[in-house]
Amino acid sequence: MDSGQANNMEDAQLVQDFRGGDQQAFNKLVLRWQNRIHHFAYRYFASSDDAAEITQKTFIKAYHKLDTLNDVNKFGSWIYRIANNLCLDELKRAGRKKATSYEALKTAPQTKTASPADGAVLRNEALVLLHKALLQLPVDQRVVVIMKEYEGLTFREIAEILDEPINTVKSRLYYGLSALKKTFDSWNINKEVFDYE
Amino acid sequence: MNKETARMLFMEYLYDELEEDQKTELENFLDANPALKAELEELSNVRSMLSHLPVKDPAGQIVLVEPETNSWFNWWNNFIDSLILRSKIAKAGFALGMCLLLFISIASLTKMNVKMGSDGFHLSFGEPQTVQQGFTADQLEQLITQVKEDNARMVAQLVETAQEEQQKQFEETLINFADYVEQQRTSDLKLISTGLTNLDETYYDRFRQTDQVLGEIIQTVSRND
Repeated sequence: MDSGQANNMEDAQLVQDFRGGDQQAFNKLVLRWQNRIHHFAYRYFASSDDAAEITQKTFIKAYHKLDTLNDVNKFGSWIYRIANNLCLDELKRAGRKKATSYEALKTAPQTKTASPADGAVLRNEALVLLHKALLQLPVDQRVVVIMKEYEGLTFREIAEILDEPINTVKSRLYYGLSALKKTFDSWNINKEVFDYE
Repeated sequence: MNKETARMLFMEYLYDELEEDQKTELENFLDANPALKAELEELSNVRSMLSHLPVKDPAGQIVLVEPETNSWFNWWNNFIDSLILRSKIAKAGFALGMCLLLFISIASLTKMNVKMGSDGFHLSFGEPQTVQQGFTADQLEQLITQVKEDNARMVAQLVETAQEEQQKQFEETLINFADYVEQQRTSDLKLISTGLTNLDETYYDRFRQTDQVLGEIIQTVSRND
């Protein structure tokens, strides 16, 4: 049994305990999952406030809907689905205004002003541009990149969360990575920039 | 395998989700297609760059459900648990207590009386027999008569006192009214007297003025003649 399966079993046990009336079991689930959901939402919006709000809403919704989870072994996929739906709702609600209010981009540098000799400055600027590039991806590609690259979910799990065929997920990831490559090329960002410590 | 099929496997290859035989087959195909291999390498570089993306942890515990330690349900469970007796002594004590409670309840309902006298132990149920104590009928009648007389005397005294009080008040009112009328009359007389004096003075002044004017007219007429 790998650690993923062990975690799933632990989550499943906590879900069952919660359904049996143990309120503390839900607190344990929150402790186990809040960082992952917060990171997911932060990468989605590049905003701590939005990430905190999405995380809060995700667990509130999970608390009220946990009885509707059919397979307790799939709590992870289920809570990611809730978080993703809330992110989509937030995007629809905030609309285009959201696209210009990312805190990570408030200090978005002008690459031409940085001295090429200053590796640390270039690296910091590249990190900001990295998030900017991610945010420029279409939402369906962005979410797949985040889930695969940062959340470490399998293609099957992502397909299950998004309720899409596996090949669609792979295709979105391919186009997402290709689009990121083009963006990085146009901004003259390469992987050597990140080697500076 | 063709290029499209190879591209279809890129993602699984990059994220190490490819079966071993497919992986070998793809790698062999890529060795024969350097352009495709370079494309995969570029995507791998993108992955490498993405791995540097920073992330922020939540500020603290975001959502917590308060444990319902004080809920009525928990209190009831604790109460029931506390009632479950663990030892024989506790059980015997509980039984004794319950018997005592039952005895007291029955005694209360049946109004049981227990007496210990010199002649022995008496147990009875129901209302205890009451012993007649107090006045005889004659004494009671005399007492009532006495109370009535006292009451009549007190009422007469009160009425007399009230009448005297009213008489006093009436007399005081009459005196006050007479004083007021006298003061008013004196004041009116003074006013009339003052008015007459003023009238007299006014009349005298005007008479003098008229004389003076007539004198002047007569002098003027005499000169003209």
